[in-house]
Amino acid sequence: MRHDIKIKKGLDIPLGGIPEQKILDLRGVERYAVKPPDVVGFTPRLLVAEGDTVTAGQSLVEDKRDARLTLPSPVDGIVETIVRGEKRRLLEVVVCRNNQSTQNIQNTPNTLTPESPCWWMIKERPFGAIANSDHKPKGIYISLRDTNPLAPDLEFVLKGREHEFEAGVKALETFAPVHCVKAEGPHPAGNIGTIVAAIDPLSKGECIWTVNAQDVANIGRWCITGEYRPERVIAVGGPAAKAPHYYRVICGACLKQISEAQVMYESYPAMDGDGQTVAHTRIISGSPLSGSTVAADGFLGMYDQQVCYIEEGDKYDFMGWLMPGLKKFSFSKTFLSGLLGKLGNLEILDTLGMPRPSYNFNTNMHGSVRPFLFTGSFERVFPFDIYPLQLIKACIVGDVELQEKLGIYEVEPEDFALCEFIDPSKTEIQSIIREALEVLRKEATA
Amino acid sequence: MNMKWLEDWFEKIEPKGKWSWLGSTYEAFHTFAFTPKTVTKSGSHIRDAVDMKRSIIIVVIALMPALLFGMWNIGYQTAMSTGADWHWLYMWWFGFLRMLPMIAVSYIVGLGIEFAFAQYRHHEVNEGFLATGLLIPMIVPVTTPLWQLALAVAFAVIIGKEVFGGSGMNFLNPALVARAFLFFAYPTHMSGDKVWIANDLWGSDAIAGATPMGELATGAHPSASALDMLIGTIPGSTCETSFIAIALGAILLLMTGIASWRIMLSVFLGGGAMGLLFNAIGANDYMQLPFYYHFLMGGFAFGAVFMATDPVTAAQTNCGKWIYGLLIGAFAVLLRVCNPAYPEGMMLSILFMNCMAPLIDHCVVAANIKRRERRTAK
Repeated sequence: MRHDIKIKKGLDIPLGGIPEQKILDLRGVERYAVKPPDVVGFTPRLLVAEGDTVTAGQSLVEDKRDARLTLPSPVDGIVETIVRGEKRRLLEVVVCRNNQSTQNIQNTPNTLTPESPCWWMIKERPFGAIANSDHKPKGIYISLRDTNPLAPDLEFVLKGREHEFEAGVKALETFAPVHCVKAEGPHPAGNIGTIVAAIDPLSKGECIWTVNAQDVANIGRWCITGEYRPERVIAVGGPAAKAPHYYRVICGACLKQISEAQVMYESYPAMDGDGQTVAHTRIISGSPLSGSTVAADGFLGMYDQQVCYIEEGDKYDFMGWLMPGLKKFSFSKTFLSGLLGKLGNLEILDTLGMPRPSYNFNTNMHGSVRPFLFTGSFERVFPFDIYPLQLIKACIVGDVELQEKLGIYEVEPEDFALCEFIDPSKTEIQSIIREALEVLRKEATA
Repeated sequence: MNMKWLEDWFEKIEPKGKWSWLGSTYEAFHTFAFTPKTVTKSGSHIRDAVDMKRSIIIVVIALMPALLFGMWNIGYQTAMSTGADWHWLYMWWFGFLRMLPMIAVSYIVGLGIEFAFAQYRHHEVNEGFLATGLLIPMIVPVTTPLWQLALAVAFAVIIGKEVFGGSGMNFLNPALVARAFLFFAYPTHMSGDKVWIANDLWGSDAIAGATPMGELATGAHPSASALDMLIGTIPGSTCETSFIAIALGAILLLMTGIASWRIMLSVFLGGGAMGLLFNAIGANDYMQLPFYYHFLMGGFAFGAVFMATDPVTAAQTNCGKWIYGLLIGAFAVLLRVCNPAYPEGMMLSILFMNCMAPLIDHCVVAANIKRRERRTAK
């Protein structure tokens, strides 16, 4: 089923470095990583050891609770390293590709089941966890437009894969009605949370599934040919990217080659608290509003379809609270840039012969943490029938009952990304929501 | 501008070891000079440029027209009453010298207490008092003795704010708590005809001169015209007489989005509706007063623009803001007309609705919860 919806509330952040619509093929990258922590609700049990030869689609880890759920290797190769974190938590399984393809391509149609290698691509809401096949979702939602800053144009990246996309939708339809939704309007119009809230809000006890549009095509390819080749076209951009454009990669690809081509600022010899050299450009896998920081030789996140380069903002700003701020971007109109924009759409500057503001974005917090003082702005970027401030406060105090009443099941941390962005009290809202959801999820699965 | 030397100086003097208890004070001055170089760790990697300091400083800037006009009006009132022939600049200078000690006392006492509390709790010093500390001397009579002002500020900061946990946790507007303290503790210094006009440059001697509302309370028609009240050349609290100067501040607050237009508009709508209702009844002179006089007299406009819109103590939901504002306006006019004991109703009306704001929000949110429950039950 196809829907077109229109969202009014929200904000498109004028972040520089929009990727040019040109795709560079980087499917030849050597190293790949599978990252179990990216898959919410998945408790990994390792199935391979370092040095093992694996084929694309072969399971590397399985879920301890439900052994049908697995995370497969994206390529043929050898397990190079197994990276563990604190308490031996499994962080990454790195596979180094070898060139003899041994994948058994049957060219026979497959049916999508929880055992399929593509199953992890299906996420379940509430909680954004890997889909549980015992649940009966009331719908499967696919967003046809990613509205995150610098996100890929999905129509452009899916060009040529239409029949795979169709096949993927058909495979998903065996579980629940599929809704392909194209949302118009500012971010977060394209977020699944926004879409579901606009079409058929989630209530307690219900669930929906959602798949990234590019992964629908990957599922479709697997269903048609039996070949597990999870490709994604990723948008690479950001104010600190040299030549923003698209890359065609395989899921979990190492970003080293891309970073070498794109990083504008080298590391500089300042030390952080642990005596580490601080890179001057931050590499973000995923949206600049909710993605995760990766090292220069790090890997693409499991569900990410964009990479963003932003300058680290570890610099003091003299009298930042008092200066006119022609280069500062704010959703509030408290800086001259915003006031001018409001007064005459910046045409005043043209007539005065002054340059239009090009905003300086970096990773600076632009202020210190404070209690919530101002109200009313969250509502303007939060297109839900939910009171955001009240829900955030319920999460801070850990009142589960109140969270449920206020609609916690309808949201994901990413739905609060813009609230966090515009918040003058600099509260870590997404973390607060994530922790609250984690408590609820553990209660629900216990 | 290369401020590297100042950066280095701040890093050099950072209190360590036995001085580390001074951290909050150091932090306050450091962040005053420089927006910190902290970077984002989780969640959104980029952040909006606005912060609490910027937001509060907009309020302070918005107060400037009323403050500057108020200073001139202090001198003007004295000159008119004594018959002195002063240049307008001297009038302003006279008012400036009268206001300066009041502002200084307010900031020194208030910020002193704020720093002490922040230091004691190892919190960062909150910038909210930069606005509050300026608001308090702007809403009291010019002849208020400085020791009374100091007591009122201390009361407002400690009882009105810090006992609840500081900025953002208080439920009463601290500036109005200070005024209410003065109003009830030293009523002879806060109302009547003998407090509004300063006799000379120093001290708290006053010249008799009634405010429009003082005259109305005694049954007389105000001697000042609506135009005088619009411009503000009337006796009254130091900086709240000029509707035009307050309107200039309101424009800045609304353009920058710092104050809620819902609250501001609804206070005027509520006051206007109540005024029209009294016009319709018309039982006495006060009731027959044209409704817009209420906007021009006393602290109505100042309260609507700078006090009712305090986001911490106002209703927090959009729907709640309408109810909150309408009731403030209505109650203020009701108190003025029907309660001869209190000539000015705005302060009490806002404080009363501050107390009611959480209840209003509770009801608005409860409606949302009920809507969600109905959907689940379906």
